[in-house]
Amino acid sequence: MECSHIPSISYAQFSERLHKQVVAKRIPILGSFELTFRCNLRCAHCYCNLPLNSRDAISKELKTGEIFNIFDQIAEAGCLWLLLTGGEPLARKDFMEIYTYAKKKGFLISLFTNGTLITPKIADHLAESPPSEVEITLYGVTKETHEKVTGIPGSFKRCRKGIDLLLERKIPLRLKTMAMTLNRNELSNIKEYAEGLGVKFRFDPELNPRLDHSKTPCNFRLSPEEVVKLDLADEKRVKEWREFCEKFLGPPESDNLYLCGAGVSLFHIDPYGQLSVCMMSRYQNYDLKHGSFHKGWSNFFPQFIAQKPKSDYKCGQCEFIALCSQCPGWAWVENGDLETPVEYLCQITHLRAEAFNIKKL
Amino acid sequence: MHLLDKVYKKSDSIVFRKIADEFILVPIRQNVGDLESISTLNEVAARIWELIDGNMKVSEIKDKIIEEFEVTPQQAEKDLIEYLQQLEGIEAIIEG
Repeated sequence: MECSHIPSISYAQFSERLHKQVVAKRIPILGSFELTFRCNLRCAHCYCNLPLNSRDAISKELKTGEIFNIFDQIAEAGCLWLLLTGGEPLARKDFMEIYTYAKKKGFLISLFTNGTLITPKIADHLAESPPSEVEITLYGVTKETHEKVTGIPGSFKRCRKGIDLLLERKIPLRLKTMAMTLNRNELSNIKEYAEGLGVKFRFDPELNPRLDHSKTPCNFRLSPEEVVKLDLADEKRVKEWREFCEKFLGPPESDNLYLCGAGVSLFHIDPYGQLSVCMMSRYQNYDLKHGSFHKGWSNFFPQFIAQKPKSDYKCGQCEFIALCSQCPGWAWVENGDLETPVEYLCQITHLRAEAFNIKKL
Repeated sequence: MHLLDKVYKKSDSIVFRKIADEFILVPIRQNVGDLESISTLNEVAARIWELIDGNMKVSEIKDKIIEEFEVTPQQAEKDLIEYLQQLEGIEAIIEG
């Protein structure tokens, strides 16, 4: 008999051990769930937001009970890490009910929010039953910059209030920003602000088109040169890129279109119950209103992720593919097909490779 | 009352999950365990967790374990008591 005590191992160790198993067994351990596309902000770069009171969106959204039912199914299938996002997830009146149910299913929950709808009551509830992490997106350290992005007066103050409410209750918090032309002058200040609060911080400079293929968000993209300059200005980021390259550089080992964990260990569900292999790839979905998660995962996904390129797929031979955000999903929203390289990403990747002297690694 | 005569039930502040070959306990409330660490259970511990149902006495759980696993009664009792105390410590089980 093995000793029956409870070995408590570090989160990182556990996570690594489990990830190895789930890839081999194709267990849907990582899920993301957009509870709504509606949002109280009108961020210039957003890829999915709809007006807060859109009756059309509300009528199409999954009902509370339908979400509970999906939570039951994904828990049964092995989902452990679950991201609740939107739109603005807190825009749903039943958010706390949904959150509480998810906690009771034993998911390790991350919550992405703009922070503006966090009230003392919500913060108290989160403190009592905490998520693994709340990530709030902050676009500037001044009202002017933040609201230039969000388009809503008063959103800066409310976002800061939301941050304070979480910090007062010691709820695990991370700040994030999207780096774009509208806030390029305050990026380093946002980072300093986060560091000053003692919370984790990340930024993402790669804006993608809207899900309806509108290119409006792309108008706010930094140039590829600026993106790489931002990388180089951040010592930690450079180190992480270099370590990543040492591990993963080289042409892909598979000739599949999908080279990541999409449909292997991760999945995505939208507010209307559409199941997809990831957040980006939404051109062929499985409808959870008319079928089970198990069927979608076991019958629909395997064929989907085994797709091969139909043309001479340039990215399939690229030794920098691991460095690049190019994927069939992004190609679809940007170019309307799965295989045409996203020129913007390609430029960033090749500039990065040059800047980090990666060819010589 | 001797621990072997006690009956335990699972608290609603922790969730048992089996994912791949891992048995884990996920705390729901902040005061249960450390959120930075995940409690993983081996096969015997997972079976004991399953047997804690609010009806079965600890002595009966011990008998089941002896029946199902290769273990001496002394070792089974020692491990079981140690395990239950740990579970009580993280408020995963309560008497009742």
